[in-house]
Amino acid sequence: MHDLSALRKAVIEGEVAASINAARQALDRGIAPLDLVSQGVSPAMAEVGSLFEEGEYFVPELLMSARATKEIFQIIRPLLAASGAEPAGHVVLGTVQGDLHDIGKNLVAAMLEGGGFEVTDLGVDVAPEVFVEAVRKKPVQIVGLSALLTTTMPAMKKTIEAFREAGIRERVKIIVGGAPVTKTFAESIGADGYSENAAASVDLARRLATA
Amino acid sequence: MLPLLSTWRAVWQQHKNRISPGERQTMKDQQWNTLLSVIRGETIRPLPTAFIIDSPWLPNWAGHTILDYFTDERLFLKDNLKAISTFPETIFLPGFWSEYGMCTEPSAFGSVSMWGEDEFPFAKKVLRSPSEVDRLEKPDVRKHGLLPFVIKRLQHLQPEIEQAGHKIRFAVARGPLNIATFLMGTSEFLEAIKTEPEQMHRLLTLITDFLVDWISCQREVFPTIDGILMLDDIVGFISRRDFEKFGLPYLQRTFSADVSVKFFHNDAPCKASAPLLASAGINLLNFGVQHTLAEMKTWTNNQITLLGNIPPRDVLAEGTPDDVVRSVTEILGAVEDKSRLIISCGGGMPPRASTENIKALISTVEKLTGGVHANEFHPVSDFEHA
Repeated sequence: MHDLSALRKAVIEGEVAASINAARQALDRGIAPLDLVSQGVSPAMAEVGSLFEEGEYFVPELLMSARATKEIFQIIRPLLAASGAEPAGHVVLGTVQGDLHDIGKNLVAAMLEGGGFEVTDLGVDVAPEVFVEAVRKKPVQIVGLSALLTTTMPAMKKTIEAFREAGIRERVKIIVGGAPVTKTFAESIGADGYSENAAASVDLARRLATA
Repeated sequence: MLPLLSTWRAVWQQHKNRISPGERQTMKDQQWNTLLSVIRGETIRPLPTAFIIDSPWLPNWAGHTILDYFTDERLFLKDNLKAISTFPETIFLPGFWSEYGMCTEPSAFGSVSMWGEDEFPFAKKVLRSPSEVDRLEKPDVRKHGLLPFVIKRLQHLQPEIEQAGHKIRFAVARGPLNIATFLMGTSEFLEAIKTEPEQMHRLLTLITDFLVDWISCQREVFPTIDGILMLDDIVGFISRRDFEKFGLPYLQRTFSADVSVKFFHNDAPCKASAPLLASAGINLLNFGVQHTLAEMKTWTNNQITLLGNIPPRDVLAEGTPDDVVRSVTEILGAVEDKSRLIISCGGGMPPRASTENIKALISTVEKLTGGVHANEFHPVSDFEHA
């Protein structure tokens, strides 16, 4: 085990500059990029998720840790690719058609990246065919659909149907989340998983990626 | 478990029969007085019910699209009167709410309003980075964006509203944090309070100056206004420390006007902010389903009248009347002290909430809380012996 306590502390505290410095120093010490993720970033983001679930952290704290993580991945992603290290899985994320809210999706993206997943963020107001096309383009294990409005929840169902119509529904696991979304709703539209919050999405994605 | 739950229709009919036509016509004044009594701490029997109704629920319930509701003032009046006549025993808040969803205040800052035929309007952000805050100017509340449309709609309809026995009681606005997120994006704003706190204080000060003007303008035009409704879910996303810095001082200013009812809506989690809301002058709070009435009473030190908190989507919109009866029974049974309490849903009236479910809520509250002493209140047995 490497000593990555400074990096973990910086990520947990959402100190972006300190996180970048700690990551660079760790790489300079010869720590492998994959170890930096598995022993530094991932446990730090898991701790951030726990603090959020316990009510110690709020959305701004989560966002700052997510930003720190994003900056670290800017540095190590090319190194990970060069070393042939595989991510925990590939996830395509987006807010469904008709919905312009991004905060839930952004938090999930950050938590998943922190958990070692490669994330393709399609943005907001994403049409079903855009999700389908993204899955056709690259090997994706998980598709995440976000919605904040009750009026846009039906677009989740439409997106899942679009995967069926395209004949690639079985190729991916589809997870859903967002303020109005419930487990019951997720099951009713044929989703493979539902996450109540961003922090819990990492465990869900891990379970589904290895299923 | 509750064999008579399905009798809500009969209960509703009995309840309706006890209200004379005369009472229905004058209910609005009575309801306003009821609201003030509850806020003063008087225990009212039966407990009042009240709902925030606006564009997410009203147009579809009345049978047409959201865009028609926003663009046709006759339809706006008709829908509101229809709601009031369908549910004469309840209080609709703020009552005749002329608004354009989340676009109203952001539009005054130059935000583009995006409309769909039957979708909620969305305000497009105007700031690309925190550094752009300084280029924003305080809007003229009598000239900019959709604000004159809000005022004019109410002015055009005021004679008919008053002829129908109602008054325009509330000045309404989105809260400062909520407006900030529409101007610059939710993630961006919430990050910026950590990275660019001074810029964010400048933004919130500007928005608050504007809000003070906007509330003052509404009060000048409609002297019958004696309440403020402020809606700000973003308060629920931040810690107590951040609320003390970025929320409370601005809410204190926006609620500083001398009115009887200072009504705040935040249906995101509010454990962190709840203990401080009374110090902003707030005396009526509509909150979400994350917390119980008993918890909220403790956190607010019973200083604030609580408006809640039947699950809006899972029960009021998606449930059956029996589900509503069960939920109301559970919620009422779980709170000992029934002072400063108005039964509602945990948030605004949700889309697709049916007439039957709303009536089930109103009649169950009436049945369970009418004519019994608070200390003798046993909700399930009381209801079963109806």
